[in-house]
Amino acid sequence: MNSIEEFYSLEKKSGYAESLFNDLSDINSRLNAFLNITRISGQNYPFSVKDNICVKNVETTANSKILKSYLPPFNATVVERMLSKNFDFIGKTNMDEFGFGTFGLNSERTPRNPFNEDYVAGGSSSGAAIATAVLKYHIAIAESTGGSISAPSAFCGVVGFTPTYGAVSRHGLIDYANSLDKIGLMSRSAKDIRYVFDIIKGPDNYDSTCIDIEKRKMQSDEGKGAKNTIFIINQINDLLDESVKSHFSGLVSKLENMGFAIKTIDFNLLDKAIPTYYIISMAEASTNLARYTGFKYGLKNNEFSKDYNSFFTESRSNFGTEAKRRIILGTFVRGASVKSKYYSKALKVRGLLIAKMKEILRQGFILSPTMPIMTPKIDDANSLTPVQNYGLDILTIPPNLSGFPHVSFPYDYDKGLPMGAQLISDHFEDYSLLDFVENWENSFKYQFKYNLGSI
Amino acid sequence: MMEAIKIGLEIHVAIPTKTKLFCSCNAYNEQEPNMSVCPICMGFPGSKPMLNAKALEIAKSVANALHSDIAKTISFERKVYFYPDLPKSFQITQLSNPISQGGFIELQSSKKIRIRRIQIEEDPAKILHEEDYSLIDFNRSGRPLLEIVTEPDIFNIDELKEFMNELKSILYYLGIDINTELKADVNVSNQGERVEVKNITGLKDMINAALFEIKRQEAARASGAIINKETRSYDGANMITVSMREKESDEEYGIIYEPDLGEYSIKNLPIIEPTYTNKIAKELAEKYSASEKLIIEQIMFDKNALQLINKFAGTYKINIVISAIEVLKRYNKTLDDEKFEALLIAISKNVLINSETINDIEQGKTIETSSEIDESLIDSAINSMLLENKQLLKDYVNNPKVFNFIIGQIAKKYNASPKYISTRLNILLPKFVAGK
Ligand SMILES: [Zn+2]
Repeated sequence: MNSIEEFYSLEKKSGYAESLFNDLSDINSRLNAFLNITRISGQNYPFSVKDNICVKNVETTANSKILKSYLPPFNATVVERMLSKNFDFIGKTNMDEFGFGTFGLNSERTPRNPFNEDYVAGGSSSGAAIATAVLKYHIAIAESTGGSISAPSAFCGVVGFTPTYGAVSRHGLIDYANSLDKIGLMSRSAKDIRYVFDIIKGPDNYDSTCIDIEKRKMQSDEGKGAKNTIFIINQINDLLDESVKSHFSGLVSKLENMGFAIKTIDFNLLDKAIPTYYIISMAEASTNLARYTGFKYGLKNNEFSKDYNSFFTESRSNFGTEAKRRIILGTFVRGASVKSKYYSKALKVRGLLIAKMKEILRQGFILSPTMPIMTPKIDDANSLTPVQNYGLDILTIPPNLSGFPHVSFPYDYDKGLPMGAQLISDHFEDYSLLDFVENWENSFKYQFKYNLGSI
Repeated sequence: MMEAIKIGLEIHVAIPTKTKLFCSCNAYNEQEPNMSVCPICMGFPGSKPMLNAKALEIAKSVANALHSDIAKTISFERKVYFYPDLPKSFQITQLSNPISQGGFIELQSSKKIRIRRIQIEEDPAKILHEEDYSLIDFNRSGRPLLEIVTEPDIFNIDELKEFMNELKSILYYLGIDINTELKADVNVSNQGERVEVKNITGLKDMINAALFEIKRQEAARASGAIINKETRSYDGANMITVSMREKESDEEYGIIYEPDLGEYSIKNLPIIEPTYTNKIAKELAEKYSASEKLIIEQIMFDKNALQLINKFAGTYKINIVISAIEVLKRYNKTLDDEKFEALLIAISKNVLINSETINDIEQGKTIETSSEIDESLIDSAINSMLLENKQLLKDYVNNPKVFNFIIGQIAKKYNASPKYISTRLNILLPKFVAGK
């Protein structure tokens, strides 16, 4: 039984919804999971929505000051599909501004790790992961561009699933980098994810990149990867913290005992993934963010007496630091004089990376720790330079850059903090990831500090 | 020998689809400002473009008509710049994989004006500048535009006119009315660097801008100035071009691939077959030994005329068919085939066609044909008119227009065919003149 069926099978005491709202508001004031919380009926299973996904008439800002008090006139397709199945919307979750971050720290309200509040919750879907870790019955609609589902899922000890690029409609998702953005899910079990993924996936008349993964799987010879073979990339060894390395080798032994064939393999292009990702994502982001001019929605600039350039410049000073950095870098890499050195080259390298990874994924899964480091303290993460920070996405970027489905699942605990591993499969093989995690859950018990709303 | 003047064009025309290029809003709602808008064409966060297949179909048909190489797959690019009429602050256009590349339009002289590329893109919103404020109407935002770029193969104004006329006719037959919204950039080089004149609306201004630029560059050269690469803007009110910027500070658009649209195969899209009126006129003229010029005038921008000629020329003399078409135009009528044939018969039988007869034909009444008119009556009418009015004869010698006056008078009096009267008059009049 998944937790959705379980929830509906249980009888709720009167005042259930009210006390859940109060408990959640209380804990939220410390952990900053939600940017806003909506009162729910208590009768329906709740879902949260990352703040970069539009919910009609609910403030949706991608956690940016520039979109302050923006009320979308329409629901994102995912939201529409959840509501049509009678799920209750419970609130918008905290995130790095526009999804720009690995630790959730590009937010005015710092998200905190529910296992230890001195530590980061991860980003950019920070609030989605915290909400999943504190609520007993809940599923989070999250989004990943370069690892924004995997990273916080690993730090908060929940299952974070990022589907094949295009499996879920992006209609209503505020763009970060359109060729990379994927809506995904976080939950406390793979079963719940399977249940909700069935609801939200599939083609949409409002997103032309949205596909039917099952149809595509049947049409192509892709995704025939052996389901009991797991590859570990040799090149990750040098990137891992000692402590991560030892926990991870424990996982590998366990999987071997479960009957998986573990193989190592070379992936020489791994170090090209980060520059490639950041060039493409920033180039696209800088064009997506061009529309925020203080004109039609969000924070409005009323200085209409100014000339266009001053008006736009003044409005756009309201972006946060990381957003400004990415707009400047992104504008630079697509500039006519350097485009071939950066943007166009990155597109080519991306093609090579996809081909090379596909070669491996046709023969099995790729497994790695989700993050190369142990969960950092908030203060330590804050003192990282941007380049150090970007470097920590090395393990989550490859599948994101190539549109391969991947899942981060809890596999161990260290000093009370969870650790996550990330499994990647071939395009359209989304369900084999969920099969794997369900299998893993049979012999591994996830731990949670909070169980708000348990009945 | 190097040609002195070289003109190249970038022509933008609106593609006549019901809905906009990337959303389902009405593309041509001119009623109320900002009523034909949605999150997509307003660039609201979270909205994604959905490509209008009908626009592709029309664009593909144009490419086919201009002998342009149609791409197997097409894709789109983002052209980024900040301006209040551009809701996303980037325009979705085509750069690396446009609808088609190459092609030509053939002039009467069989000279080919080469086409460089044909692409589709979205129109920005419309800005209405008032005295101390501006208003934006987003009804136009996202309307599909077709851009046709030529090589600098046009060497003079006559070629420019002929090229545009021919293009207009081809587009007209594909359902594109170029008169509604024609915008162009005209590149002119007169023995020097290329000067681009932007923001030209309409054919008349294209010609005026090109003329002005040719003369301006000539005068500049004569005074010893060097013509540099430059972008100028056309000032329609004063019929002059004004410098915008030197080419060194080329605009930077930071163009990237449009990831929301991906690649489209247009291989299987249907094509509307092209109609080349100059070719058809030539063929018809040869076949029926008629005037090519007369035919082209009728059919260049009139599908109906071409249809009627194709249907009835052969059965009836082509000149009769053309006369009948002219009658339709003169009286602003459309007739079904049966009634049109009645008109053809009437004209063949020299019936005088006036508003009365055309109304009778329209209402399906039988027309009295000239065979029922007593021919001797006409002869005697001519005789008595000329005998009674000597002054007429005198005038005729000095002014042959009197001929038409006599025909008019008699035609009116006896309701007879002017052509018949004219035949008789040709026979009788010389006798009178000689007799005098
Ligand atoms: Zn629209």
